[in-house]
This record gives sequence, C-alpha cells and structure tokens, in this order.
Amino acid sequence: MASVKLTKVQKIYDNNVVAVHDFDLDIKDKEFVVFVGPSGCGKSTTLRMIAGLEEISGGTVEIDGEVVNDLQPKDRGIAMVFQNYALYPHMTVYDNIAFSLRLQKVPEDVIYEKVTHAADILGITQYLMRKPRALSGGQRQRVAIGRAMVRDSKVFLMDEPLSNLDAKLRNQMRAEIILLIVIMKDGYIMQVGTPEECFDMPANLFVAEFIGAPKMNIMKTQLLKENGKYFVTPFGAKIEVTGEKGRILAEKNTPAGEIILGVRPEHMVLADANDPSAIPATLEVNEMMGSELHLHVFTEDGTRLIVRVPTIGLSSEERESLVNGKKMAVSFEGKVMHFFNPETEENMLL
Amino acid sequence: MKRYSDLEYLRLGKWERFVYKLQSFFVAIPKKLWQLILSIGRFFKKIGLGIAKEFTDIWLTFKDGDWKTKTSYLVMGFGNIARGQVLRGILFLLFEIVFIGYMVLPQGGAYWLSKLGSLGDQGPHKEMVQKYGQWVETSVPGDNSFRILLYGVLTIFFIIAFIYTWRLNVKQNKIAEGILKSGKPLRSGKDDLHSLVDDQFHKTLLALPLTGILIFTVLPIVFMVLVAFTNYDAEHDGLNNLFTWVGMDNFNTMFNWTAGGKSYSAAFGEILTWTLIWAFFATFTNYFLGMLVAMMINKKGINLKKLWRTVLVMTIAIPQFISLLYVSKMFAKNGLINLSLINLGWIQTGQELPFWEDPTWARITVILINIWIGIPYLMLIATGILMNIPADLYESARIDGANPVQQFTKITLPYMLFITGPYLLTSFTGNMNNFNVIYLLTGGGPTNASISTGGAAVGHTDLLITWLFKITMEGGNKYYMASVVGILVFLVVAVISLVVYGLLPSIKNEEDFQ
Amino acid sequence: MNNKTAEIDRQKRSIGLKASARISNTIIYILLVIISFIWLLPFIFIVLQSFRCEVTGPVGYVTPKVWGLDNYKRLLECNFKTWYLNTFIIALCVAVLQTIIVLCMSYTLSRFRFKMRGGLMRFMLILGMFPGMLTMIILYRVLKDLGLTQANAVPGLILVYVASSGMGYYVSKGFFDTIPKSLDEAARVDGATRAQVLTKIILPLAKPIVIYTILTAFMAPWGDFVFARYIAFGTSSGYNVAVGMFDWLSKDQIGSWYTTFCAGGVIVALPVTILFMCLQKYYVEGVTGGAVKG
Repeated sequence: MASVKLTKVQKIYDNNVVAVHDFDLDIKDKEFVVFVGPSGCGKSTTLRMIAGLEEISGGTVEIDGEVVNDLQPKDRGIAMVFQNYALYPHMTVYDNIAFSLRLQKVPEDVIYEKVTHAADILGITQYLMRKPRALSGGQRQRVAIGRAMVRDSKVFLMDEPLSNLDAKLRNQMRAEIILLIVIMKDGYIMQVGTPEECFDMPANLFVAEFIGAPKMNIMKTQLLKENGKYFVTPFGAKIEVTGEKGRILAEKNTPAGEIILGVRPEHMVLADANDPSAIPATLEVNEMMGSELHLHVFTEDGTRLIVRVPTIGLSSEERESLVNGKKMAVSFEGKVMHFFNPETEENMLL
Repeated sequence: MKRYSDLEYLRLGKWERFVYKLQSFFVAIPKKLWQLILSIGRFFKKIGLGIAKEFTDIWLTFKDGDWKTKTSYLVMGFGNIARGQVLRGILFLLFEIVFIGYMVLPQGGAYWLSKLGSLGDQGPHKEMVQKYGQWVETSVPGDNSFRILLYGVLTIFFIIAFIYTWRLNVKQNKIAEGILKSGKPLRSGKDDLHSLVDDQFHKTLLALPLTGILIFTVLPIVFMVLVAFTNYDAEHDGLNNLFTWVGMDNFNTMFNWTAGGKSYSAAFGEILTWTLIWAFFATFTNYFLGMLVAMMINKKGINLKKLWRTVLVMTIAIPQFISLLYVSKMFAKNGLINLSLINLGWIQTGQELPFWEDPTWARITVILINIWIGIPYLMLIATGILMNIPADLYESARIDGANPVQQFTKITLPYMLFITGPYLLTSFTGNMNNFNVIYLLTGGGPTNASISTGGAAVGHTDLLITWLFKITMEGGNKYYMASVVGILVFLVVAVISLVVYGLLPSIKNEEDFQ
Repeated sequence: MNNKTAEIDRQKRSIGLKASARISNTIIYILLVIISFIWLLPFIFIVLQSFRCEVTGPVGYVTPKVWGLDNYKRLLECNFKTWYLNTFIIALCVAVLQTIIVLCMSYTLSRFRFKMRGGLMRFMLILGMFPGMLTMIILYRVLKDLGLTQANAVPGLILVYVASSGMGYYVSKGFFDTIPKSLDEAARVDGATRAQVLTKIILPLAKPIVIYTILTAFMAPWGDFVFARYIAFGTSSGYNVAVGMFDWLSKDQIGSWYTTFCAGGVIVALPVTILFMCLQKYYVEGVTGGAVKG
C-alpha cells in the first residue's frame, strides 16, 4: 500500500516568484495521477518537490503517512523517470539499470536477476551491453523506465513520459491503474478528477477550454427563467435547458441573469434558419478532417464558433455547398450546455 | 540627445545610425556610473540592515532561549553538548579554547594587535643584561615590523572567524530549540559526518581550496595593500630597521607632478599608455589572425587539416621561456637574424636592425612575436566556435545571396564576437599583466631615461606589471611604491572590466547552459 | 537559341566557380605552408644549434659545421640535472594537487547552489584583478620564515602554486556546466550521495577536462620564471629549468652557453611536447568546451 499526500504544499523561489500555491492532493494506492496544464504551470516543480529534488517552501509531503519534507530523494522510496530520461552516458544499459541496486550493495546475482527481468518485460534484453547513445528515443525511454522499475519503489514519478511512450506499453500500464488527472494553472490546482469528469463537468472556464480539442465554444449570454423552466438566449436564439443540467439549475434555484455559456464543438449542429433555436452565422473556413468537418463560423457580432460535423451523414454535394462566406444557422441541444459564472468563471452547476 | 523609437531608428541612414549609437554609448556612461554608485550605496545599506538584523536576532535568541542557550553565549558549544550533539559541541568548544589561548598567550594575538598601531617601537638595540651576576651590554633583537603587520592581519582574520563561529553557535542553539519544540530529534554526530559527503558536500569540497586562497592570496593582498601606507623598503626592512605607517605619503609621491619629467606620475602615465596600447594590439591581432588561420584550416576543400592544426598546436606545448628567450636572442643586435643579414651582405656591420634598441622597433617587434605566441591558442578556440555555428545559417545566407565576405562579416564575425565577448575582456586584462612575454623578450628595454625614476630603470616596452617587478628588485626595493602601483593596476583593470562588462551583449546567464 | 546561350553561360559560370575555388584554395595552401614554416622554424633552429660544436655563442648561420653531442654532455656536467629534477618534481606534485583542488572548486560552483556562492565567485573575480606579482614579496618572506626558500625552494614553490589554484576554476566549471543536471538528480534519486554523484557520474563524464587540467597544471611549472626566480634567488640548487637557463643567455654568459641553452631547451621541450601531443585531443576539447563557455 502506497499513498502520497500533499498538504498546502508551496514553492516560492528566492526572487519571490510563487510557482506552486497551497497544493492539496491525496493519491491513494494504485492510483495513476497525471498533472496537466500549460507550460510553466508548476507541474514539474510539484513533481520535483515530491521527489525531493526541489526544496519545499511550505506545507508537507507525506509518503505512506510519513512526512518526507526533510528526507533526501534516495530515502523517500520513490523512483523517477526524467523528462529527457537522464541516462548515464558512460554506462551500458545494464549498468544504468543496475546503478541504484549497486549503491544499495545488493549482491550481483540478485542484480542480474532483477535487471534481466526488467529488460525482458521492456523488451530491451538485446541492448543490455549498449551505451545509451546507441539507442533510439523509444529504447532510451524503456531503459529509463527499467531503471525506475528495479528499485521496487512505493511511488513512481514520471516527468512527461507518456507523451512519446509507444501505444502498446501505454495500454499495458493503463490497464491496471486508475487514471486521475490534476489540471493546473499558474501553480493552482484547477480540478482533480477522472478524465471523464473533467470533460463532462469542468470545474471552471479554464478547465473547460483546456480539455478537449478543438476548444469549447464560449458565448456571453442571458439565462432566463420562465415557469420554472430555464432558457438561454445566445445571439437571438432561444434554447431551453433540458435534461440533467436543467434539473440541477432548478434544484439550485439559480437566479436568471448574465452567464457564460459553453458548448463543445461536437455538440453543435447545423440547423434550419427558421428554427427559433437557430443562431444565424457565416461560414469562415471549412476544415476537412477526414471523418469530420470543422466549420469555423462567426455570428452577427463577430463571435467565432466551431462546429464539428461528422462527414458520414453528408453527401459530397452537400459538403461542397459549404463554401466560405455561406450564410447558415447553427444550434445545439439543451442537455449539452455548460454554465459559468461571468465573474468567478466557476461552473454554476457545481 | 534625441531618443529614437525603433521605427524611427530604422529610417536612419548608415552613418546616422553609427553616430546615434556612438552618442547613446557616451550618454549612457554617466548613467552607468551613477547606477554603480547607487548599487554601492545599496550594498552598504544591505550590509547595515543585515548587521542590525543579526544583533536583534542575537538579543532575541538570548531573551527567549533556555538556560542551555544562555550558557552557550559564554561557553560555545555548551548548548549542543547539553542537547546531545556532542560532536558539534566539542568542535565549538575547542575552537573557543584555541582562540582564547592564541589571544592571551605571550606573543599571541593580543600582543600583535597592540603593536599594530606603531609597527614596532624598537629595532635591534643593546641592552644591559645580567649574565653570571654581571651586567653586560648585549645586542637584543627588537621588534619585527614585517611580522607585526603579518600577524596583526592574521589576528584580525582570526577574530572575524571567531565572531562568525560564535554567531553560528548562537544560531544553532535557536534552531535546536525550535526543532526540539516541534518534537523532532536533532541530528546526531553520525548524521553530521554523513552530511559532509552528501547535502553538505560542498563545504567539504571547498574547505581546502578556500583555505589556500585565504592564506596565499587574500592575506598577501591585504598585507600588500597595507604596505602602500608604510615605508617598507630595503632600508626599512622591518628587521634591522623598523618600518612604520606613513599615511598617504606614497600616493602623494606617485601623483606629485612638481618633480618634473622624472616623477612617478610621468612614468606611470607613459607606462599606462603603452600598457593599454599593448593590450589592445596583443588582444585583437591575435584574435583576428587566429580566427583567420582557423577559417583557412577549416575551409571546405582544404586537405591535411590535422597536420596544419598539429603544427600550430605543438608550439603551445613548448615552454614559453624557451621559445621567448630564444626568439629574443634571434632578434638581438648580434643575433641570428642580424648576423645572417650581414652574412648575406644585405646590411653592413654597424647597421644592424635595431629590433630591441629602437623604442618603436622594439614595441612593434614584441607585438609581432606575441602574435607568433598567441595564434595557436586562438586558432583552437576559434575552431571550436566555428564548428558550433549551425551550418544552416550559412546555407540560408547563401540562398539569400551572400558572398563569402558577406558571410564572414554578417554571420561568422557577429557570432564569434557574441560568444567570445567575455573571453576578449579577460584576455585584454590578461595581456595588460602579461609579464612573461615582455620580461623574457625585452626585459622592458630599451631604457627610457627620461622617466626612469626612484632608482629603477624604466624601459619603453615596460608594462605596469614589469615596472612593479623592477621597483621591487632594483633601486632599494621600494616595496611601498610597488604596492601603490599594484593598487593602481587593480583599479585600472577593475574599471575596464566594469565598463566593458556592462556593454557586452552576451553577459551570460550561466543557467542558460544547464 | 536562347536556351543554348543560357546553358553556355551557366557552364561558364560553373567553370568560373570551380576555378576561383581552386585559386583561393591554392592561395590558402601557400599561406598555410608559410605559416607552418614561421611557427616551426625557431624550433628547428634550436634543435640544429643544439648539435653545433664549433662555436658556443650565437652565429649568423643555422646548420652546424661540426656536429656533435658536446652541448648535451655539458648539460650533464652542470647543475642542469638538479634543475631538471626540481622542475619535474614540482610539475608532478602540482599536476596532482592542483587538479584535485580545481576539480573540487569547479564541481562545487557548478553543481551546488549555496548561500555564499554568488558572493564567493564575485570575490574571486575581484581578487583576480590584483596583480599576482604583488603577493610575491610577502610570500617570499613567509616561505623564508618557514625555511622553504633558496635550497628548499621546491616544496615552497609547490605550496605557492597549489595553494591559490582554486582561483583557476573557470574553464572546468564551464565544462561541468555542460553536463546536464538531470544526471545528478537521477543519480540522487537512485540513491547516490553527493560524493558518489561526483565519483561515479561526473568524473567519468568529465574525462577530457580532468586530463586538460592535469596537462595544464603539469606544463605550467616548466615555464614559470618569475616566481621561481624570486623564491630560489641566488641558490642554484633550488632553481627550476627556466631560472637556471635564463642566466645562460645573460650578456656575459651567452658567448659560452648559447648552444647549451639550445640543448637544454630540447631536453626540456621534448617530454612536455610528446606528452602534449599524446593528449592533444583532450586539450583541444578542454579549450573549446570549457574556456569559451566558462
């Protein structure tokens, strides 16, 4: 059983730049947590504080219930895969993987067992006597993972590792572990949850825009309340909020007023111009993506929206009719909307 | 002066741009100096605040501390021992005992300090001493000014070290109290020892080098700076004849213009001028010619690259005193070159080329020979950098239509200058102090009688550094004047470094490379 | 028609390109040969003159008229052996000790971020602006008090050379800075102490700069003149080769010792040059890798 708990962890550099703010996170055994966020948001710093490579300015880091703030990296029971792998260039693959065991004075035959076992799993047995410089990027990464594997650590840290891990290995690793993501911005945690949670119920506007591609469409609009029913009125259209979303709004007894409305491009549809729920728009660019089209349109006031249309339902004539500058209408259903407070940018349903 | 915006600047012609840049450079100097003064002010303010903070902390630690802490103010390390950190405690205590012992012993710290004000009262003299029940006049060794000054400075160092250690001792008590209050155990002696190869490893590594620098560089420099304010020379050697403080007298001598052409100030001015000319030519001729040679060797299509490089590199290996002395004799009046020319019948005996006899010839010859000495080294450095210039820069320049000359002036040269900016600076100051080349080639000669002063013969190729050397060796070893010259050399180098460093485009953030 | 002229024109130009490249390369070859001669000639002269037996002073020709080993025999008969041994001992000790000190210093300043680091580096920069010659006077007196001058100049010189060598950390620090820091971190996560990081990771990777440091430390004492002369002044048995041989070229001795100087020069330069040529690769790597970046 291994767990990692961060309580009010802070990183303040000498020049008073705060890299990480009051970071709280509780990672249980077998949980696989991924930090995501734009570059410079404090992902690596947090990881390095857990590893003990960066001094912790405030708060505590616990591994298995023990506060490890003042422990050296080697005494924390962690293994780490570095962003650029950090393989020792003057050692063979075998020596690279065996390095930590040798420092612990593990007998050579045990080292042999462990290293060959790890190499076997990672499929790098035939490279054991090579130097890192003679390996390809993917092979180097496997060596780096192998180096972390043989340590039998409680906690496994990886700095941007899965990005170029090949698919087979990635699936193997994901199969047995629960995936949680931590979305960060400017040193603050924005949201912690499974990828589905973050996608379906983003905690705030930042998460909503960060997760999913192309980006969520954002519209400034009014929330109306009529006879206990809620409506939104983007660009003159009037759409009822239905389903779970409508129910929550009613439960919370949300007052009518200004809101920020978010709709994912895949939830947008082409509509009949006469429909009351239709938003009149002009096509700007038509991007062909194969199985789908990305239609970049702008509304009367110039707001840009993206509509993802599956090509499967369109004939080639219909597709060709979508020329740049064409007047059209778009819409979306009432159950797929996201509501954000215009001041705090928080999700109004949470 | 009018400041241009970026867009306005782009509209300027070539000449206007140059003038504008030149103006900006000179206009910026007073501002730079002002900033320097400000930063010095800030530095002292920071120190003042720091000291004030230390004192408050010392007082607060005492006020809030327990009896173990309070006792530690007198008995260093007591708190550590009482709290179980025996190893640290004993080290502190030992240091205190040694310090007090050194201070109070006869001929100890207190003794040297008390003599420091006068640098000794009495030289060797005769004294009535009772021997075998009789009073006999005997010679007694008196004070030794040299030792008084040396040990006085050493004692001051020791006192500073003691204050620092005492402060550390107080701080440790505070930290230990804090740790114990939070319920954690203190580090044991074993932990301390282990940390010396781990998180405190830098202290272990630095201990030896820094001690060496402190004793063999810092101490001598402090000593010699102080000598500038004494009359230490062959006559007042501190042993047979005491030397003493003379205040600013030596600086007055140095800057005294009334003595006419033979004054130190005239000599200093002339030698400084030549030193700067020399440093300029020595640095830049080597730099550009070295670069040229490197480019020739590295040019595409040139074969035997390794051979050419090896020929030049080999000359680095040969100790300079051999090559310089030999070449110096080659160019002498009866040296190989002149004798060969006579043998060839190109010149007559008595018409030898005055390589070392004529001031201008001598100056040009040393610069030329210095090129011979310096190019191999510069060629290596330039090769390293040239190979690092991305090839696609040249390819793109060729596609843009640049000819080889343009490629050099627009790509190679700016790149080189950018990377080697700091190197050029250190090489310039290094050349200002290039003792070996001048001393082994000319010994400073030919003599310039009009400025030879204070008993030391000054030559036309003398640099400040060789002049300094001559002052200590000839004409009554005027160490105090050498010391004044040394301080002036320091000031010149420091000012040049500061000004140039501020102008360099590549003041490198060292972290960029990591 | 038009096409044809264009084609001919193109051919002409390409021939012109080749020809101009050939001409410029020829000029460069000529220059390189001249340069090589200028750089090698004095050394060839030294070697030739060291075998000259007919006259011991400087003459107006290079090739000896009477060849022989007289000058080398003469070296064996005078104090040269002592000087040579002195220099060799000094060079060996300095190479070992100075390398250790420089590596300690540069590794620390490259890898550790401690409170006094910036101040320390600035302080050493300022110290370096004082002419080192100034400290000679006092070091001489101190060494004299310790009995390490004149006949005992060898240990005295070693002490002086080594003690302040920490100031010359720039080049190797520049090299250490190019070794990625993540290697240190990986090793520390793997369980290495800082000391083990140094011995097991950094030093093996820093081989070129270690050899460069040893090489320069070994070579410097062979050429040091001024300090050695100051400290051993007047006592021939404490001289190093540079101080000893310097007097041979003084006005009153040059007539009888000039060729012996050449022979001595050959004997001094030979081992250093051979060593240098063997380790040239590392020297070049050190200079280009460390000197510029540092």
